[in-house]
Amino acid sequence: MSLSDLVLSLADNKQMLGLRYAEWATRAPSLEADIAAAAMGLDDLGHSRVLYGCLEPLGVDPRGPERESDPASLRNLAYFDDPWTEWSQFVAANAILDTAFTVMIEACVGGSVDVLQQRLRKMLLEERYHFLHGRSWLRSGIDTEPLLRAWREAIEWFGPPDGESAKLHREGKLSLGPAELRARLEERLEMKAPPVTSDWKGWDPIRRRARPGSIDAHTFGMLRGLEEKKYAPPTAKQAAPRA
Amino acid sequence: MKYQRVSGDAVEYEVFARKTRVEPLHQVGSVVAPDDDLAMAYARATYDEERWCEMAIVRKDDVIRLWSPGEA
Repeated sequence: MSLSDLVLSLADNKQMLGLRYAEWATRAPSLEADIAAAAMGLDDLGHSRVLYGCLEPLGVDPRGPERESDPASLRNLAYFDDPWTEWSQFVAANAILDTAFTVMIEACVGGSVDVLQQRLRKMLLEERYHFLHGRSWLRSGIDTEPLLRAWREAIEWFGPPDGESAKLHREGKLSLGPAELRARLEERLEMKAPPVTSDWKGWDPIRRRARPGSIDAHTFGMLRGLEEKKYAPPTAKQAAPRA
Repeated sequence: MKYQRVSGDAVEYEVFARKTRVEPLHQVGSVVAPDDDLAMAYARATYDEERWCEMAIVRKDDVIRLWSPGEA
């Protein structure tokens, strides 16, 4: 795994986070939260575009043709595989996962790679409001299950203690390693992570997740433009001939 | 004005912003939220369409009113 693989994972996760946020733009508990969901969705989709744009300057673009046909080739966390059905899932993602991605962006900005230092800095300003939103809703109390799941996936996404992200830290490309990332996430959220015992043998270092699976067919079709084709006007060849 | 929400009392905040340093802050709208953090997030999400150089929020309850319409 290279730094490009990590940036692609960040980009794919930001894209899916943005899409899942946007799905709640008319379903949140208040009009203000609806608007925040829409705005945060736009932010994260924009962040994903910037991150995809960093792959070429990094020298290696790990995106292959399989991304056009295989949803399991996308590097999103299992948390984003399916649309969220409960507001608690939104809040846990907003507070824990969005902040975990922000902490990783901080590690990139604090690292030695110029393109990441320069292009990712602005994201941190926008993420401040995502954090305030997530932390405030988290304090109001949510279900335990999505919270524990988000913590587990965040910690696993940071990577094993002796894995590639630890190596990137030792090389100076990231200013934080897995243990420091976790500590900063806990510090930011002013809470301790629940005990997580990860089976790193079953962990996929490319997708940075332990669970198999992939995003739902509708979302994948939408990302690929297949959904859009359903509504495209018929071509002259396909149109019925006029009498 | 207090808004009753399921989670308890929500507070109304006035939102102020300006586009350039030479113009004064002016009111661009309001948001309702249960705490300052959420009010900041809501204000930024709701009123960030324009390129403000400054934005601030004030709890409406904290405004000291000298007189109101019809009282002058």
